[in-house]
Amino acid sequence: MLAVRRVFELFGLPRASNIVIDVAMRATGLFFAFCLVLQASKMPGGAIAPYSSHAPYFWSSTAVGDSAQLLTLLCHGCSTLPENQGFAAQTGGTGSNVPLLSVLLDNLGDSTIENDRITAVWLLSYIRPSIPQRLLAAVPFFYWRIGNGSVTKSSDLSPLLDMNSLQRPMLKTVARDVLQWAMLDPSFMPVRASSRAYRSNVTDRERLYLEETISYLQAAPGADESGGLTPAQLHTLIARLELRKRLLGGFVTPGAAARFGESAETRHEQVRSRNWELLRQCADKTGLYFEPLRLAGRSGEYAMLWAPVGGITAAAGTRVSSIWKLLNMKKPSLDELRRLPSAAIYERGFGENGQTIPVVPLGVYSLDYPKVPLLLIDFRNRRHVRWRAVAQRSIDDITAGVIGISHFTNWYFYVAADVYDFVAARRGAPMNQSERLDCYAQFRVNLALDQDLDQKLRAAMRDRIDSLAMNPLESSPEEEKNAGVKNFASLLSAAEDGRLLARVQKDRRQELASYDSSAIRNVRDEFYHLATFGVYTRRAKPTTEDIGQVSSIRRAQYHLSFLGDLAKQGTPPEVMADSGQIKSSIAELEQLLPQIHSEPLLRAAKGTIVKLRGNSENAELQSDCTLALAHFRQADGIGRQVALKPAVVRASAVLPKSE
Amino acid sequence: MMRLVFAAAALFAAVVPLSAYTVSSFQPPFKRLVIIKVDGLNGSLLYRTMQGHNPQTGKSPLPWFSHIFDRGGIVFDNFYVRGVSLSAPSWSLLDTGQHTVIRGNVEYDRYTGQVYDYLNVFPFYLGYARSRAVDMPGVEVLDRAGIPLLIDRFNYEQTLQSFQLFQRGVVWTTLKNALLGAFSGKALISVIESAAPISLSSSLANQIENILVRGLRSPQFIYLDLFTGNADHEGHATSKPEALLHVMEELDALLGRIATAIRQSPLADETLLAVVSDHGMNNEPGVISQTYNLPDLFNSPQGGAHHVVTDREQLSDYKLKGINPLVHRVVTPSTSSFYLNGEASRYPTAWFDIDGNERCAVHLRNSDINKIHILLLELARTDLKPSLRSAAAVSLQDTIEKHRMRWAAESTELSQELDALAQAIAERKERITNLSKPDKDSRDRGEDKADRRMRLELQHWQREHSAYETYLEHLNRLLAFHPDTKKRFAESINDLIPEMSLGDNNTVGDLEHYIAGPAAGGLVVREDGRLDEEESFRHIDYFALLSQQRARNNPQPQLSPKPIDFIAMALPAQQYEAGIPEPQHAYWLYADADHQLVILQDTDGRLCLRPVRRLSQDAAGYIHWEQQPWRGGLPLALFEDDRLNVSDSDRSTWLSGWHTERDWLLATHKCRYSNAVIGIPEELSPVAANVPGKPGLNPTRLRYERRRRELVQADFHVFASDHWNFNARFPNAGGNHGSFLRISTHSVWMMAGAGLPVVRIEEPYDSLNFASTILSLVGRTPPMPDRVVTIPAAELSSQ
Repeated sequence: MLAVRRVFELFGLPRASNIVIDVAMRATGLFFAFCLVLQASKMPGGAIAPYSSHAPYFWSSTAVGDSAQLLTLLCHGCSTLPENQGFAAQTGGTGSNVPLLSVLLDNLGDSTIENDRITAVWLLSYIRPSIPQRLLAAVPFFYWRIGNGSVTKSSDLSPLLDMNSLQRPMLKTVARDVLQWAMLDPSFMPVRASSRAYRSNVTDRERLYLEETISYLQAAPGADESGGLTPAQLHTLIARLELRKRLLGGFVTPGAAARFGESAETRHEQVRSRNWELLRQCADKTGLYFEPLRLAGRSGEYAMLWAPVGGITAAAGTRVSSIWKLLNMKKPSLDELRRLPSAAIYERGFGENGQTIPVVPLGVYSLDYPKVPLLLIDFRNRRHVRWRAVAQRSIDDITAGVIGISHFTNWYFYVAADVYDFVAARRGAPMNQSERLDCYAQFRVNLALDQDLDQKLRAAMRDRIDSLAMNPLESSPEEEKNAGVKNFASLLSAAEDGRLLARVQKDRRQELASYDSSAIRNVRDEFYHLATFGVYTRRAKPTTEDIGQVSSIRRAQYHLSFLGDLAKQGTPPEVMADSGQIKSSIAELEQLLPQIHSEPLLRAAKGTIVKLRGNSENAELQSDCTLALAHFRQADGIGRQVALKPAVVRASAVLPKSE
Repeated sequence: MMRLVFAAAALFAAVVPLSAYTVSSFQPPFKRLVIIKVDGLNGSLLYRTMQGHNPQTGKSPLPWFSHIFDRGGIVFDNFYVRGVSLSAPSWSLLDTGQHTVIRGNVEYDRYTGQVYDYLNVFPFYLGYARSRAVDMPGVEVLDRAGIPLLIDRFNYEQTLQSFQLFQRGVVWTTLKNALLGAFSGKALISVIESAAPISLSSSLANQIENILVRGLRSPQFIYLDLFTGNADHEGHATSKPEALLHVMEELDALLGRIATAIRQSPLADETLLAVVSDHGMNNEPGVISQTYNLPDLFNSPQGGAHHVVTDREQLSDYKLKGINPLVHRVVTPSTSSFYLNGEASRYPTAWFDIDGNERCAVHLRNSDINKIHILLLELARTDLKPSLRSAAAVSLQDTIEKHRMRWAAESTELSQELDALAQAIAERKERITNLSKPDKDSRDRGEDKADRRMRLELQHWQREHSAYETYLEHLNRLLAFHPDTKKRFAESINDLIPEMSLGDNNTVGDLEHYIAGPAAGGLVVREDGRLDEEESFRHIDYFALLSQQRARNNPQPQLSPKPIDFIAMALPAQQYEAGIPEPQHAYWLYADADHQLVILQDTDGRLCLRPVRRLSQDAAGYIHWEQQPWRGGLPLALFEDDRLNVSDSDRSTWLSGWHTERDWLLATHKCRYSNAVIGIPEELSPVAANVPGKPGLNPTRLRYERRRRELVQADFHVFASDHWNFNARFPNAGGNHGSFLRISTHSVWMMAGAGLPVVRIEEPYDSLNFASTILSLVGRTPPMPDRVVTIPAAELSSQ
């Protein structure tokens, strides 16, 4: 059944059999979910970190066996829904805690961070779309969410991000593209249009969930004594999620991913602060008032513009028409402002010396869109923002879906379209649909979690942001919050009954089978996995010594990475790092590598240590390098004779503390 | 014997760890100089980070900086920009070791409108490719002023210069290799593995580094430098500490690679390595720098409804025109112009240097030229009443008479100078015709570039001659003009008022009573038949106007609602203090009518401060002020500054006393405005005195060169309050610079080399000390021997 489902997932096709599977799974899932929620309310639960009133996000930790942890990010004070009361009991907080995402951390049961691995990430608000939703998603030019979208009926334990198979999404995308180009596009127009519409909706939905997860992780606190992810782990995780949006993102090396995560955070910060200031300047020029918004405990991501009811006085002497264009709205006339009902008028302290004046909200902007603040809510025109998105999507659907303009044969059309987009973007129009979707995804969840805003204003915003929901596969944020509670309960249950531990063990065996494989070998394994609809996965045979082997490999990789970073500089390593630490790393490698018997790791280690020796000007360190190389040569000889497979590698001499 | 010595030296070098950089028998002078020039690296931030601890490595977060300089060389803890903290002026000081003649990132010739755009490299590369440029604009200006660069102290073939603001020539192979490197197979694999986009700039940086490292291997090169602008770019973009740390870490790794290459080079023990930065940056985590738009103010009727010139487009990222890399002058018209509607491209009347952002240099068209222009427009009307026509004509004639003596003298002098220039042009033409085609040897000696330099200089002379000639013709026509009191003015105004020209600098009196346009009700005649000047024109007091500006949107409590900190302007040289020999120079700092400061400078360079209020200029040009006691709230906030290194009991006395520049630096450098008392005179002093001219230049031509520098001096400078900036080009939400705030002026200077001591120098120094000290250490004649820093006796490194 699972294999059949994977075929349809792979091709993103709504088929009757898929619907049947869905119904069956949902019924089963619903039953289990109900049981688990009941059980969850009685469970002792995990250790809940104390939350700060200033930072509503906090980590909760639940043990998965004795060698892994389920870390869950929760938002305190982000809901007042009555159904959260039961959940509150087991998280030790109030009913306003909302679980957002969970991370499975394989820590091998010890307290050293160097051999920890994140293996899976769940977005708890994930809801599997219903059959009617899938059908609607395949209808071209259908850009609405019906009601609250899919209702949470069952919980889903498949993670959003599986860190053990990073190349899998890339292969899926390629397969889908090939299928679309080779089989569906040349078909009849209805097939082409429907398949493209469905594909767009599925892709958008996936991106929406990825962006929601990134948004939560950006707000997550760093690890403290009560648990959580370290800043480096957070950076890597954010990077992996960002890279999922790119076709070749799965090929990025672990070290580069961590750096990518760090630089992504810096880029976000730069974009936000630049947009913040641009919007403030535009408000100055047009005679409006600028107010940064704090949503769900997060600041700097959104801002509002207000107009004085008494009329707008723009800077005289300069042309401000281009500024209004940049703001993506029309200047309200005095008549328009005077005609507003009193309910639309707010009092804000924008006057000189902070005195309050009557103002009306004009728009809410996301500051995360590259280069220009993105109008998310136009308080005066509910359809304005939606209209632009619908128009752009319609053009895509007409050209690619209905007319069938191809990137290959009609490339000049796309060149012209790109030129148009470039010119429009230079003039401040937000032409990037994906980035717009990211901003929308973040805003809808932050608004749903927020309890700080003025109630009247928040209600007005929620009312308007709902109009931007264009994807039939989407669910409302309120429904997703409910799903979060249920999915979290399911995960806790899985942690309790050993299903998560079994997953961790499988992941370790997969890691043992692939740790020294080349990228090409890994892609080939993933291809086999997809070709057999998930039946085949390359794993090492289970042994009782898995933990020791995995620990040895991870620690060796850690030390190799540390030494590799020093060696690649081409400068004396003892200047960049303490000689003691370098020697200790070399000694660790010396001890670990003979146990692992991995030719690629050994080769890399030798190369690194040769470089270190060449770069170093410290005689003692050079001598250590020489000794280590001699040791490797000796061990290599023995290793060749033994010729052990990874699955039967002897346990590491340095065992995890728990053992 | 020599072999033994070399063998011993080689053995010594092999066994001594790199950290023992200073343990050597070698003593200065050094043979080779390597300078790493870092644009915008904040001294405070770097030094603080160097002394930190990275638990992952057990070392400093910047291990190479710490290792080479902190524990193996000299760190100047208190090194400051002299003058405004802007790149072009600051690098010119560092690169020449002489008082500045470049005082902004962009400068405008008030007579001809010529733009000196020192930061834009694109026109230079394009010009070089088309044989229309050989040096960056800043170098051309310094060459004309007769001020040599550091690199000029070495033979051409001994130097290896990287890409930078004060650059001579272009090495095309660097660019070509950078381009090839960016699209190499290795780079493309790296793009897939790291998800980083293809970057031409990082490829260029790698290429420049490789060239430097290769150059170090050859003993031929004894001057090598490497310029990097990454710290400046990142600092402007963000104040996020992690991002700034990342830039410093990259810089640290670069330093490590260069130091290792030096260590492995044949001149390792004879190499002096220096790291220097041109200014700091006003980065504060969590604070977003806000822009106050000065062009908008000057466009508005309140600000004079000027058509405004800047060197770049406003909000250039949101315009198609913004992608033009060759732009150097952009006119933003005022939609409310009082008398120049539709004339923006010919008569822009306010020109700004905003680059750098915490300071704006403002050039306004001479107030009396405005008046003449307005009166000519009135006289050209057919419907003007006879009484008004007569009054306007008389007023126009009076205005010309007021300036006649000065303009006539100027006309004579400029004519002489243009004659001398014409003669030089003729001589140069002849010389150029005799030039032979350069062969390979002469190209290796840089003689081809010298030839091209001569040709280009000739083109510049010809262009200038034509432009000044045009201005002179207008001036002469204006001097000869006698308005008719009865008939309509039927000639062309363009014949009398030059286009794209501002005329003479405005005086304090002009700016306090600036004529921005005709009065709303038109000209008014008094009972005596003369024009009522007060009622006939719109007047603006720019000092009051600027100090009254308040931000409409100021959501950050850390920022003052007052975006403008103070305005600075040079006052005319006159006798300000009895008993002190003339000429005394004076510089005025205006916060508001009651909070003003005057810096006085005597002929010996001594300085003193006067807290004043209500400074004004009378009709005869004399400056008057009301003296006031020292109190808080005055510009530079010295009186209330806890870090002023003067005993509390006699602060007022000390601040009012005459002290040497050195005493002022010692007393004030840790204050909020560090060395502003010295920096303001450096920026505003008469520039002609700093132009020595090329050796052998005849006096008339020297006067001409000095005039050209005088003509780019702004009317006044506006300084932004903390975390405010004037960047109208795009939001600079990170840090900014340009002001005299210590965070913006505190720069980096560190040196290491065999035989140098390991020492942190607490004594404050500024940009003028750098080149002289460096040159003396490499055994060359320092440009200002009195600025050579005495290095303490060598103390061997403990490692």
